[in-house]
Amino acid sequence: MLEALASFLTVIAVTPLMIKLGRRVGIVGVDVHKSSKPVIPKTGGLALILGSLIALLVHMLLNHDSLPLIFLSTGLIAGFIGFLEDFRGEMNPKLKPTLLLLASIPILVTGSYIPRPVIPFIGRTRLYKIYPILVALAYPVTCNAVNSVDVLNGSMIYTSIPFFAMSSIIAYYRGNSFILTMSLICISILVALIPYNKYPAKIFPGNSGSLFIGGLMASTAILGRIEVAAIIALLPQIMNEMHVIFSIGGIKSAKQVKSRPVKFVDGFLTASKDRSAPITLVRLLSAGAKVSEKNMAYMMGVLAAFTSVLAILTDLLLVEAWI
Amino acid sequence: MRLLKNLAAVLALLAIVWATFLLVSYILASTLFPAIEQASQNIFASILRVIVGLATFTAWVLAWYTLTKIWLYKVLGVD
Repeated sequence: MLEALASFLTVIAVTPLMIKLGRRVGIVGVDVHKSSKPVIPKTGGLALILGSLIALLVHMLLNHDSLPLIFLSTGLIAGFIGFLEDFRGEMNPKLKPTLLLLASIPILVTGSYIPRPVIPFIGRTRLYKIYPILVALAYPVTCNAVNSVDVLNGSMIYTSIPFFAMSSIIAYYRGNSFILTMSLICISILVALIPYNKYPAKIFPGNSGSLFIGGLMASTAILGRIEVAAIIALLPQIMNEMHVIFSIGGIKSAKQVKSRPVKFVDGFLTASKDRSAPITLVRLLSAGAKVSEKNMAYMMGVLAAFTSVLAILTDLLLVEAWI
Repeated sequence: MRLLKNLAAVLALLAIVWATFLLVSYILASTLFPAIEQASQNIFASILRVIVGLATFTAWVLAWYTLTKIWLYKVLGVD
């Protein structure tokens, strides 16, 4: 609990400094869903990273285990790849997922995983050969899925908090204090960033923030042994990513996609009718409607909360019996 | 009102994907995973299991993508 409080206060304190740093160094992006098209710093991810580093420091002073270091290092590798993209501009869309495989190294090298996930209706499986491959793939899939919903003010945070709430609840009833602590730290840093990232945003999490959070989600699933529940909780993000890939015909850069999924008209978002436009969650929710950016971000949070409840139900009814 | 209808439709879609995911994970755990993990079994049975597993997974992804696309274009009035 002390770790969560320390990380919360750190993010609250350092985010104004990150806003200044982002403007000074030029790590900025245009907020395209505003009439005035303001330029906003993309350094919110650095505040999230600093917040979790402080939490790690507090945790290591109170306890003497190395697992939090492994947990956080996966997120740091993913966050660093995101920071490179924020700093140097858009990365090759095929190189990015390849680099994100590196985020799995701390868990794979230290052998911190247990390759016996419980699968509904089957029970505990023995996946000694395939599990390490799935661990490696979990990072690019999760990071890109989280990154793909970071399109509106607050949307990445509102869709990520339900995931960590789900992992906290499961960790609580399983008595897994490590995952409970790590999940509470993640909730704390995300909640602390809300005042700065909610509509109208003063800072964006950036690729560093969304990939960092995606990396921590993958590690929560693997180290917490909640693989199936994690996939279910992440269905909105995974569906969003898969829809984009299928509708534009592969993994492509945003610059290669001519048509935008939504239009910004009179301060509202509305779905594009262009068949070549990518299919996204925002486009689905705004089909035939005019929706404010603020409401749209809340609706995305509702979707994530819904699948997180399904994840808990699945875990309670179909997985817990084998634990 | 339209937004709430859209939200309800996407929630329904997510519920369908969740339910079918449980089925697909069961099929994968009974076909693809044993074929990879148990190399000593009959080679033809292994190949068949891999094909069934991969085909099921591909069909699942394509099914919910197609379902989403049909619903979206219907709401948008696009042919």
